[in-house]
Amino acid sequence: MITSPSIDDMLEGVVIALEADILPNLENPKAQASAQMMQSLLQGVRQLLPVYESSLVTEHNSMNEALRNAAAALESIEGPAADRIRERAATLGAAEDLPAPADPAATVAAHRARTEAVRDSLYDLDELQRDGVAAADESLTLLRAMLTPVYLNYMGTFPMQGGMLGRG
Amino acid sequence: MNEQLAAALSSVFADADGVEVHGLEPLPGGFSRETFRFDATISGGSNAGALPMILRKDPPPAVAILDTSRQVEHDLLEALRANTNIPVSRSYCAEMNPDVFGERAMIIERMPGNGQTSDLFNDGPDSDQVDDVVRHLCEVMVELHETPVSSIDPNGALADPRGVGIDPSSWDSYMDTTYEYYIGAYPDMEFDPLLLTVLDAFLWLRRNKPRPAPLGVVHGDFNPANFLYADGKVTALIDWENTRIGDPREDLGWMVLMDVLSNTQVMSHPVDEGGFLAYYNKLRGLDITPEELGYFTLFGTANIAVPVNTALARRTRKEQMEFLHLYMIQSSAPALMSFISLLGYPGVPA
Repeated sequence: MITSPSIDDMLEGVVIALEADILPNLENPKAQASAQMMQSLLQGVRQLLPVYESSLVTEHNSMNEALRNAAAALESIEGPAADRIRERAATLGAAEDLPAPADPAATVAAHRARTEAVRDSLYDLDELQRDGVAAADESLTLLRAMLTPVYLNYMGTFPMQGGMLGRG
Repeated sequence: MNEQLAAALSSVFADADGVEVHGLEPLPGGFSRETFRFDATISGGSNAGALPMILRKDPPPAVAILDTSRQVEHDLLEALRANTNIPVSRSYCAEMNPDVFGERAMIIERMPGNGQTSDLFNDGPDSDQVDDVVRHLCEVMVELHETPVSSIDPNGALADPRGVGIDPSSWDSYMDTTYEYYIGAYPDMEFDPLLLTVLDAFLWLRRNKPRPAPLGVVHGDFNPANFLYADGKVTALIDWENTRIGDPREDLGWMVLMDVLSNTQVMSHPVDEGGFLAYYNKLRGLDITPEELGYFTLFGTANIAVPVNTALARRTRKEQMEFLHLYMIQSSAPALMSFISLLGYPGVPA
């Protein structure tokens, strides 16, 4: 996967393009309002994305604890409603907490460092190959074999069908 | 803008009593120039009448992809008109003073024909014309490649139009200096390190120089969006801003890649001749092999990849905020698939 531009960079680009390229050319008030709604929604997604996974985990773990505590507070209460609350605490609420997700920024930085290391190895392998070092061929093949699924995953995820829009 | 256009055209049509401009509107399309269509009404003189025209403007420098000269393009179009039968627009003038139109610009004839070339493919409304159009397209390209360089480029403006050290004094020196240009340019074009397969390709190209071939004038952006057609014929080959001296196999290779990116099938036609390469070989008496075509798909793509990706890298660094450049990161992504396929990465599906 590419890390630059980031997903946030791309969303920001669409928000800016709506402002600079689309809104000034819209004469229909409903279309103008729709474009502004798109900007608002995209801005919200930009704010959600960095905290989304960690928020889900934090909230999941908090709910586990709260379900258990809520049941404990009803310890002396009898009846089907209290029983259902205790049942939830004993099942869902008793599950183990989810682990904290990796810091997205740290993941990106670590990924980028490895990609740059592979890239720099290409320069070195080229030097070795030009010097006639046969083992460099195998070394390059190993790196390329690792890269194939990386590119296939990227190709299967990011580009859209239909060619280059706007070019006839 | 209308007044500036009229003034510029009054200089071109010196014997006219007056020039009026109307209907100016931007055209979608071209990724590297801003284009506008308009009509000019010439009163009196030898060109009296209504003339369809195009204004081709450089984009602001910050968002420019190719830093090429409109004057060179003007001279080229006029040389092609004078010395070949290649259908191209008449170029009326180049205005190199950016104060006149906001940026450097040129005014050219608006040619007839359909520019929506996707209509020819994928069961589009003109798919019945595709063989005839592509047959003519191939013949046009052969004429370009066989026209002596000296007749199109007498002053050497196309030898190294980007000023990056290309030496076309021989095929070997052309290839060697081009390899160095590509490899040297890589760090500035790397908007993300995953672009490394492009670097892999540049280095592989240098290690695997193919057999030589005569240099010629190459269009430089021969792709499915850069021609117009009507009634089974090409009416214009357009967008000559990247034309230069090079190996003609580059034009064919770039078309291979752009067929993939554009979801078109130019290279599969004309069917009765066995496709574009077979017909090109037949017309020129050459035997360019599929392997060579693959090599020049990478080599020809590299020529465009360097300036395009350099512009995308500037966008990614937020030195400019052109939306088109952000979109091109997505729309050009399938090119990487072609790269890993042509380089023979293990495990790439056939």
